[in-house]
Amino acid sequence: MHQASFPKPGSLIIPDWHQNAEGGEYLSCILRKRKRRMFGLIEQPVLPPQLPFDIASYKIFVCGKSGVGKTALISKLCGLEVPSVHHETTGIQTSRVYWPVRPRDSQRPVIFCFQLWDCGESALKKFDHILLACKEKADAVLFLFSFTDRSSFEDVPALISRTLSQDEDPARVVIGTRFDQFMHTDVTDQDVGLFQQTWQLPVMRVRSVNGPRLSDGISLDGRIELLDAAPVLNGLAEILWHRDQITAGLLASDV
Amino acid sequence: MEGSSVFLLCLTASSGVPLYCRSKRSSRQLTFSVIGSLNGVHMFANNQDVLLTSTRTENSRVLWRTFHESINLIVMSCDSNASDHSLNRLLENVFSTMVLVIGLDDLMNIKNVERLKKDLRACYKLIDSFLTESEKIGDLTQCVDCVISNDSVILQECLDGFTQAAESEFGCLLIGGKVVVATEKWWRLASLDAMLLCWLVSSLSPHSSRDYPVYLPQGSPTVPHRLLTFQLVPGVDVCILCGPSPSLQKVELELVERFWKPVLDPVKSCLRLQLRSFPISLNLHQGILGFLLINRDLNKSLYTVQVHPFEDTQRSDIKCILEHRRASLRSFYTLTMLRYFSPEHHDGKIQYEEAFPEGFTHQAHQCYVVSSSHKCYATKTDLHFLFLLFKTNVPTFSMRAIANKTMQVFTKEFNF
Ligand SMILES: Nc1nc2c(ncn2[C@@H]2O[C@H](COP(=O)(O)OP(=O)(O)O)[C@@H](O)[C@H]2O)c(=O)[nH]1
Ligand SMILES: [Mg+2]
Repeated sequence: MHQASFPKPGSLIIPDWHQNAEGGEYLSCILRKRKRRMFGLIEQPVLPPQLPFDIASYKIFVCGKSGVGKTALISKLCGLEVPSVHHETTGIQTSRVYWPVRPRDSQRPVIFCFQLWDCGESALKKFDHILLACKEKADAVLFLFSFTDRSSFEDVPALISRTLSQDEDPARVVIGTRFDQFMHTDVTDQDVGLFQQTWQLPVMRVRSVNGPRLSDGISLDGRIELLDAAPVLNGLAEILWHRDQITAGLLASDV
Repeated sequence: MEGSSVFLLCLTASSGVPLYCRSKRSSRQLTFSVIGSLNGVHMFANNQDVLLTSTRTENSRVLWRTFHESINLIVMSCDSNASDHSLNRLLENVFSTMVLVIGLDDLMNIKNVERLKKDLRACYKLIDSFLTESEKIGDLTQCVDCVISNDSVILQECLDGFTQAAESEFGCLLIGGKVVVATEKWWRLASLDAMLLCWLVSSLSPHSSRDYPVYLPQGSPTVPHRLLTFQLVPGVDVCILCGPSPSLQKVELELVERFWKPVLDPVKSCLRLQLRSFPISLNLHQGILGFLLINRDLNKSLYTVQVHPFEDTQRSDIKCILEHRRASLRSFYTLTMLRYFSPEHHDGKIQYEEAFPEGFTHQAHQCYVVSSSHKCYATKTDLHFLFLLFKTNVPTFSMRAIANKTMQVFTKEFNF
């Protein structure tokens, strides 16, 4: 199943569902007032009984060289402050993100629970157990490069083979960070297109920058942060949904 | 320097290369020439075989300290509440933080200064919390800040089971960096190490779980352990300290829900303890504004300046008032400890800062201070220290009785 194809965006889920009435109601369970609602490990989103849902959890390992934007991307997806000063993440940190999705073939909406695993490069080098721990039973690995650093883009194939062995089989997703810094971009659309063709891997583009604040001047606007994050969250949900269906034999892997 | 600003500088001892600078309440950076002069005067003294430790000007204090002949820390404070003692504690805490995160080896043998500078950024959040923290007092007492919960029996049971199942003996349940319950072994960690771990967890940005390598400054400064943390609900983390196994994934998936989901409600109710540190159901004397109770055996403390939270919320200037109370209790603690309760021992002889107690063969067990804004009272037993902050309308003669009663409540009824 290695190098299984990836779904065309919007083919398996309804991409702008969270903006219509039904989706909006489901979305409210991950917001509190205008802020993002956070959940601990022994909690999960709650909805009134007339809004049924299933929960599907996935472990996702985020990797890429130091400073590429791993921690920033995860903060953005969680609706947390993106740190302005870079320091390497110490050890492993994980974050759970809940995201309601409407798969086209499912009776009811599914709330995806993404468990995002982040770790610093020096921890990876210093302690053997860390890479193993991050890969253990991962459903997907995100390989990050930066649009402002061409070498990080060219290193992606090597990064993939350094991280995963042949027999390891999580979904592979490539993500380009700093897409907002188009003035300094070092990687063109053409480069990305060619890469996608050669490697048959999905490539996403992200800008991990803080959005506007609420009237208190401190908190981030949870709804706007969610809309910013929606394309990546939907993209990941669709890829993982697709992978599950192939595993269950419901879909042929059409390479 | 502005109002009550504090600047902290870290340099290599051998060559004086600045490693970082942190500050509190100041928008300005120290200029390179100021940094150079501050370090230069210390180095100059050193070359003359003089150890320069501190100096004062009209509105500021400067302290220097060299650790392991490798790292220089300098603090310059304009905070009128600061004392040499509190600033020395700050420097110790800051260096211990560096050991906790980097390990002693890499601080004693600096091979690559640029690399070290980068690595040290991982300490900033914890260091900054020592500069700005207000709800805890462990930075000054080097004890572990605690809260008392009505559900401690059931939470303790869960924690013991969970820690054991995770192949560890060191576990604790934290709310905002204060311990709700901890395993017996946790209380046997060096108190500085235990305090730092609690402060570390509360200083980091929130995450569902972490696998964080830590070097224990007292217990294991060169060999790292793993600190695993799990956020049960936002604001409440359970932590364990362990060796190479088990994996983060295993504990998170197999143990966290199993042990903690059944106690979701008691876990959530811990959040209500954050400011007061003990349950609303417990009433203390109306005249008490705040207190600090220290268990001398386990090096744990109970600290609050909001004994009557409902009364307080009605005041508009509450922030200022609380800050004033904290400052008063902190200075009273410092004064009492240094002068009366546990002065430094030199060659077996106790050294007092003033002549008066030297005339006596016995030590003080109680002391009080009366000022225009507060009254303070401290008492000492074999197992505890208690420091109380009172309203001024409390009669001075009654403070001892109130102190004894308060001590009884916490030590007998709550077994603190
Ligand atoms: N403008 C912009 N800055 C970013 C982006 N991603 C990361 N950064 C910044 O780059 C620095 C390093 O990012 P970080 O996520 O900490 O790196 P890593 O965790 O080591 O991979 C941080 O200061 C981020 O604010 C992005 O998409 N756009
Ligand atoms: Mg990082």
